[in-house]
Amino acid sequence: MKPKSILTAEAIRSGYGGDDIVNGVGFEVGAGEVFAIIGPNGSGKSTLIKTLAGIVPIRRGALSLFGGDVTALKAPQRIAAGMAYVPQEFNVFRNMTIAENLTLSTEFLGLRGQGARRERERVLEMFPDVAERQHLLAGNLSGGQRQMLAFACALISSPEVLLLDEPSAGLSPKLVTEIFDKMKAVNEMGTTVIVVEQNVAAILPYSDRAMVLVNGAVRHLSAASELAAEGDLHALFLGES
Amino acid sequence: MFGQLIVNGIGTGLIVALPALALTLTFGILRFPNFAIGAMLTFSAYMAWTFNVLVGVPLIVSALLTILLFPLVAILCDAAVFRPLRDRGSITLLVASMGLSFVLENICRLFFGNAARNFDIPLARPHRLFDLRFTNEFLIAAAVSLSAMLIVYLILRWSALGRAMRAVADNPNLAAARGIDSGRVIKATWALSGALIAASGVLVGMDRAIDPQLGWNYIIVCFAAAILGGLGSPVGAVVGALMLGLIGELSTLVVPTNYRVGVAFAMIGVVLLLKPNGLFGTREIVK
Ligand SMILES: Nc1ncnc2c1ncn2[C@@H]1O[C@H](COP(=O)(O)OP(=O)(O)OP(=O)(O)O)[C@@H](O)[C@H]1O
Ligand SMILES: [Mg+2]
Repeated sequence: MKPKSILTAEAIRSGYGGDDIVNGVGFEVGAGEVFAIIGPNGSGKSTLIKTLAGIVPIRRGALSLFGGDVTALKAPQRIAAGMAYVPQEFNVFRNMTIAENLTLSTEFLGLRGQGARRERERVLEMFPDVAERQHLLAGNLSGGQRQMLAFACALISSPEVLLLDEPSAGLSPKLVTEIFDKMKAVNEMGTTVIVVEQNVAAILPYSDRAMVLVNGAVRHLSAASELAAEGDLHALFLGES
Repeated sequence: MFGQLIVNGIGTGLIVALPALALTLTFGILRFPNFAIGAMLTFSAYMAWTFNVLVGVPLIVSALLTILLFPLVAILCDAAVFRPLRDRGSITLLVASMGLSFVLENICRLFFGNAARNFDIPLARPHRLFDLRFTNEFLIAAAVSLSAMLIVYLILRWSALGRAMRAVADNPNLAAARGIDSGRVIKATWALSGALIAASGVLVGMDRAIDPQLGWNYIIVCFAAAILGGLGSPVGAVVGALMLGLIGELSTLVVPTNYRVGVAFAMIGVVLLLKPNGLFGTREIVK
């Protein structure tokens, strides 16, 4: 039984300059799923998720969200349509304080004063570590705190679809568990999550389905448990299957 | 003598600070140095002159009208010249701004000819304080320039627009991902820069005669100030302009007046050798 599809990618091509990095990728993500995208270094995972977020334009193919076509929409419009995206690197504004980073996100919602404060407090309840340090410059935070702040900023718009690019990168195992637990908590409150990860062993237990991307194309797509049981991920990654 | 040089240096610095600030603001958001800043300054001076002399309203009203209307000219220039080239890289945009500079200058020449024009303002005797001379122009330039800087500071530091501008300048992709519409931020940036350029156009026009080449006297020093401070840094632009003004004047104590530009540039050379990104510049992140 498959849940109702919330996001549909059809034969998407995108890239930088002359070359396509994403070479005709198609998949569907069901409402409420955690959908993992894994694959070797440089296989185009970040490019794909940037394409979903509207940072990199779609050259061929189509993307729909809640059944509406969003192929031509730029990032701010896709955000307004219910997406949120946390980049792999540089995911907070380093020259701004934590409070300013959060305020930027409420301002985009048109919230001021009381409404904005309530929204910030709602999200910060999940991130006590961030909440205590609001006057600090985001550039001075540790890797883990920065990741939490980026996550918090993305949640302020109460997105329906959350796009995460390697949330575990550079974090200690304890923090990896913490951030994935937060991701799962958000998911259980109804947000669909699409997450790119290198850390396959860590992400699969949290995922419903997983897609393996190699050279910008889908190599494998199945239930996460099935992939975890596969054992020989190396073969999949290296294209020897 | 020494004190008077300081006063004069601050005066020059405060006038140059405004277009330097405008230059650095547009650079921060659009990532190209707007060479047309000189011609825009000329254009705005003629605009104020038109209100003041042709229409015949007092200079203060002309100045306000120019500060309100010239931002529209700046936004129009962007829509016509820079927007179609937005993704082309900074060299293309720099060349386009040179073209725009040529066009604006010749529009001025076409309508107003080559003759020098002056605002209709009464001559006033300088004020004296502790043996220092303060001309009316100096006092007005100081008041206008300082208030303009304060306003820019408040906008950048505390307003939603300012936060959005800083966000786009720091990381455009992340700004887009947070829902910030860069098109609106770019328009606002041109409007703010246009207002600064207009204010400096009026101040410059009070200081000397207006002719189609007026802006050329400021373009080099304005670039120098912005680069010295670190392109993209508003504080840097102001500090750079003041330093250049002061050093230019003080150098006349030791070298002939003709060489003061040289002294200023030698100093820029030294600063950039020690700090390649300027005094307040930050390294650009590579994505
Ligand atoms: N901004 C860019 N401009 C040009 N090429 C890029 C850009 N970003 C990535 N690439 C290229 O696109 C290809 C795919 O990169 P991408 O970042 O999408 O891979 P990835 O799967 O996310 O890798 P990683 O696991 O290292 O994060 C690489 O060859 C990379 O060099
Ligand atoms: Mg990546």
